[in-house]
Formats: sequence, structure tokens, C-alpha cells
Amino acid sequence: MTTLNFLLLSILYFWGSSTALSMGIGYYTLYRPIISGMITGLILGDVKLGILAGSVVNIMYIDFISTGGSLKGDQCLTAIIAASVSIIFKISSIESAAIAYPFGYLGIFIWKYRLSINTIFVNKYEEKFNNKLNPSIALFDGLYPQILLYVMSTVVILISFLAVFTFRNLIIKENIEYWLYLFGIFLLNISIINVLLKLKNKYSLVLYASTLGLVLAFKASSFLMTLFVIIIVISLSYKDVFLSITSKLEKHDNRILNKRDLFYSWFIWMNFSHACYNYERLQGMAYAHSMKNIIKKLYKDNSEIVSTINKYTEFFNTEPNIGTPIHGYIIYLEEEKSLGNKTIEISYIKKGMMGIAAGLGDSFTQVVLSPLFISISLMLSLDNEFFVAMVPIVLLGIIIIYISYTGWMSGYYNGRQSLINRINLVKKSKVKLKFPLIFGSMLGVITAKLIELNYRVISNNSFDIIAVLVISIIFIIAEKIKQKKNLR
Amino acid sequence: MKNIVLTRIDDRLLHGQVIVSWIPFLNIDEIIIVDNEYAGDDFMSSLIKEASPDHLNVNVLTIEETKEFLESGDNKSRVLILSRYIENIAKLIQLDIKINKVNIGGLGFHNGRKKFVNAIHLSDSEIDLLKNISANGIEVEVQMLPKDKIIKI
Repeated sequence: MTTLNFLLLSILYFWGSSTALSMGIGYYTLYRPIISGMITGLILGDVKLGILAGSVVNIMYIDFISTGGSLKGDQCLTAIIAASVSIIFKISSIESAAIAYPFGYLGIFIWKYRLSINTIFVNKYEEKFNNKLNPSIALFDGLYPQILLYVMSTVVILISFLAVFTFRNLIIKENIEYWLYLFGIFLLNISIINVLLKLKNKYSLVLYASTLGLVLAFKASSFLMTLFVIIIVISLSYKDVFLSITSKLEKHDNRILNKRDLFYSWFIWMNFSHACYNYERLQGMAYAHSMKNIIKKLYKDNSEIVSTINKYTEFFNTEPNIGTPIHGYIIYLEEEKSLGNKTIEISYIKKGMMGIAAGLGDSFTQVVLSPLFISISLMLSLDNEFFVAMVPIVLLGIIIIYISYTGWMSGYYNGRQSLINRINLVKKSKVKLKFPLIFGSMLGVITAKLIELNYRVISNNSFDIIAVLVISIIFIIAEKIKQKKNLR
Repeated sequence: MKNIVLTRIDDRLLHGQVIVSWIPFLNIDEIIIVDNEYAGDDFMSSLIKEASPDHLNVNVLTIEETKEFLESGDNKSRVLILSRYIENIAKLIQLDIKINKVNIGGLGFHNGRKKFVNAIHLSDSEIDLLKNISANGIEVEVQMLPKDKIIKI
């Protein structure tokens, strides 16, 4: 590994975990193991191994959702380490994923630490504001936290690689490799069983078993299975095409703001919504950052501009893409206020709407859309269709941007009704309703492809593999009992 | 009286952590949002109801209405109470509503509040209220998600 490799990998980890500076879709693309694994592969010169290692990590994290800054492990870091180990040490993807798995916890430490440490920037900003020093929100929301994160990411990558190389000899010894393999199988089992239980739908289980059996028996290709999924998804959603806004944008008269102002504000939000994510105000700083150009245009007096921006730094948290009608609507209200028209209290409406959009949004973008497209990618990549496997993730990115942008505009032009329209669209989405069934079937295909890939090892060591399966089930039952106990 | 499974204090009320994690985990049937402000605002209360999952019965009620509502049903229905303010829960307890456990899930910063732990910020008077609640034998704990560690107050 060269210094350049290291530098590029640390930039990749920074970019992926920052979820900033990537049009709001970094979280759905760069951060996902299959993509971060692929890019790691590109950097280290073996894309296929990178994608494969990333895919295995991705299955371990298939039930990943992050709500309000809480998550179980850092999948991006895990994927970067897994792909690197797989390429440099020339070991299988499952073994490398097993080696990389513990590093996920190192990453999560950074995620939580960042939420605490970013409070510093909030305090500094407030301090300057109180001393009438006109602090720039772009610096305190954007630049400073991002520089800090870059340094932190580089340190984490450095520590991880030092650890991996220190134990290199231990890792590639013959007997340990097999244990790693079994540990990898254990982690995959846990993840898949947990998801199936979480779907809470007996037909999902039936479909899981059927697709698993069918693919194994007839050696069906992932292309064919993908085609089925696409046909089903389109037939369910052709009427609402996920979230299309059918209502026309109304024209307002006598406006100060134009579409370009709205676009710029949206653009800032998409790139910085989590740039200074912190426990004190979550996305508050980002909200104010996105309002900067709007407020500058609406008000002339400099002290009024600074204090209005400051008001927007208050606690805010929502799903950043589904929730965009809030922003559009709030911009409209702020414009009305600046024109001297009577409006509803802005903070009240903003706080009321954010929780609603967050609950509904997470249960759609993170629980339905991302696993849907990522699972299609996984089916394809495990079937050696490495390059086609990237298409679903690109589509996911485009859909997220579309949802976000249309929401922003309709919030401004159509008002609060647009949030209600969106709620109804998401709630009635047939893809969402049928998702447990689709997801169950895709997991069946993914499991079958994993078995096919590892057929030789599995058939030679069937006893061990069954033992691991039993241990995984016991482990999950023990977890459930522990959770129940905690609740009493 | 209905079976109150959990009482949660959270600025964001019915948001992602609650819908994705707590509700399925606790098998909740009914949700009461105790909020005098939203209960008096038709738009906000209908927005909250529209946004909630269909299988749930969601009610946005004032403190007095909450008492009536809880006493009107049998104990089969599993209820989750959500509120933005600790005061509301303290008032419910004063009204003899049987609450076993108060969960604190997320309270953002605003003037007067200090950081308690991670995403929880409390003012001195709020800490006193919580101490009073826990002195009444009610468990008070910070826990964002079912799988997170519990921090007792």
C-alpha cells in the first residue's frame, strides 16, 4: 500500500461518513459498503474483489437504519477495511468481512463522538453571535466541522490499517483463516435471520424459502430475479412513481424570491444537512446555513440578517429528503413576514412538522427505498454482474434527489398542504405496503447466491456450517430474551 | 383503565426512532400525544394523525382528555404516551394516572437547559420534576432506542 492509496482511502472514508458535500446522496451511495468497497477496489487496483467484500459487509448491515443519529456500527469503515484486506492479503470476502467487522465499532465511536464534539462549533458560533461579531454560518456549519471530521477519519483509517498490518501474520495463518470464515458465516446468519424476524410477516418467510430453494435448484441467474423484482415494483408503483408530485406548482404574485434562490437554498441543505450534526441541535446549524441566501435577499439591515439566521439555528431534526416541504413552506412564511404580512409563528410550525416528516420519512427512505435498491445491487454483484450492480444504487441516488427537490419546491409554492399530500403518497405507496414480501424474496436470492459462491467450502464442512447456524439461532434467541428482560 | 406500556418524553413526538423501533418492539396499539397546544390546533393534530401508521390509533389530547380517554377503555389495549414536556407527564401523575416508567428519548437544547447526556438537555426545574416523579416510585430512565443502554435518573 502506498501513501497515495492511504490518502485516497482516508478521503473516501471522510466523504462517505461525512454525508456532506455529496448532494445529500452520499449517505445512500458512498456510505454503503457495496459502493465504498467498489471505490476501495478502484484505489487498490481490484474492483471485483472490492465489490465482493463490500457486498458481504453490506449483507451484514442489510437491516441498517439510522434514526436521529443512532446506529449499530460503521458500515463504510467496515467495507473499506474488508475490501483492502481482501485485496492486499488475497483472502476471501467472507474472511475479510469477519476481520473488518470489529472495526465497525471503532467507526461508531467516531459517529457518536462527532455528535458531541460538533457542539463546540455551536458554542463558538453562539459566543461570537452574542458578542455581535457576525459569525458566518457557512464556516461554523460547513468548513470547521468538515475539517475536523477529515482529520478524525484519517486517524481512524490510520489506526485501523496499523492494527490490520500488525496482525497480518496472525490473520493469514491457515488455521485462523478457517475460524474467520466461520465467524463471517455467523455474522451473515445473524443479519439475515434478524431481518426476516423484523419483517414480521409469515409470507415473507415463505417467499424467502421459495426463492432460496428455486435459485439453488435451477441455478436461476440474478438477472432473471432482478427482472421479476423490477416488474413487480413497477406494476405496484406506476401510478405514484414513488412520490411524484402531481399537483401543479401555483404561482405567487409579488414575490421577492425566485426559483434560483430556492434552488440554491436547497442545494446548500442537500450538501450540508449533517455537516455539523450535533446532540445539542442536530440539524439546526444546517437549517440556518440553508436559509442564509434567502434571509440575505429578504432583509436589508445587516444586524437583522444575522439575528434572523441565528434564530434558525435552533434544534431541528427531520428526514432530510421527505421533509423538504417544511423548508419550502418555511421559506414562504419568512418571505411573507419580511413583506409585512401576518403569518403563523414560524418556529412552532417548523418544530411541529419536523417530527412528523422524520417518522414518515425514515420509514420510507431508510426502511423501504434503500434496502430495495441495495438488495437488487447485492443480488447482481453476488452473481458476478459487478458493473450492472452499480445501476440500482445510481437510480436510488437520483430518486432521493428527485424526492427532495420536488418537496422543496412544492412546499414553497403549494404551502403546508404539500406535506399532507406527501404523507398520503408515502402512506399509500403500494411498494411500501408490499415491501416485506419483496424484501423477503430478495433475501432468499441473496442467500442462495452466497451459498452458490461458497458451495465448495460449505459442502466440505457441512457439519461446521450447520453448527454455526445453530449457534446463530441460539444467539438471536438469547438476545431477544435479554431485550424482553430489559423491558420489564 | 388502559394499559400504559411506556411513557416517553421526546421533542419530536412520533418520529423515526419511535415509529421504526419502539412501536414494533412494544407491540403498541394506541398512541396518546399529550399536548395542549397541538390538541387545540386542527391542522397540526390532523397532520400528526395522517402521518402515523394505519394500524395505530393515534390521539392528540389535552391533559384532561388524556385522563378521560385512559379511563374509558379496558386494559387490553397497549398504549404509548408521548409528550414534548415533562410537566405534562407530571400533571398526569398528579391526576392519579398509573404510570410505571418514564422514558426520556430526546430533548433538544434551548435557553435554560443544560446538557444531561448525549441528546438529552434538561433545565434545573425539569431535573427537579424528574426527581419528584422518581421519588413516587416511578422509574425514570434515558433510553433512545430499545437496544440502547438504559441510564437511570
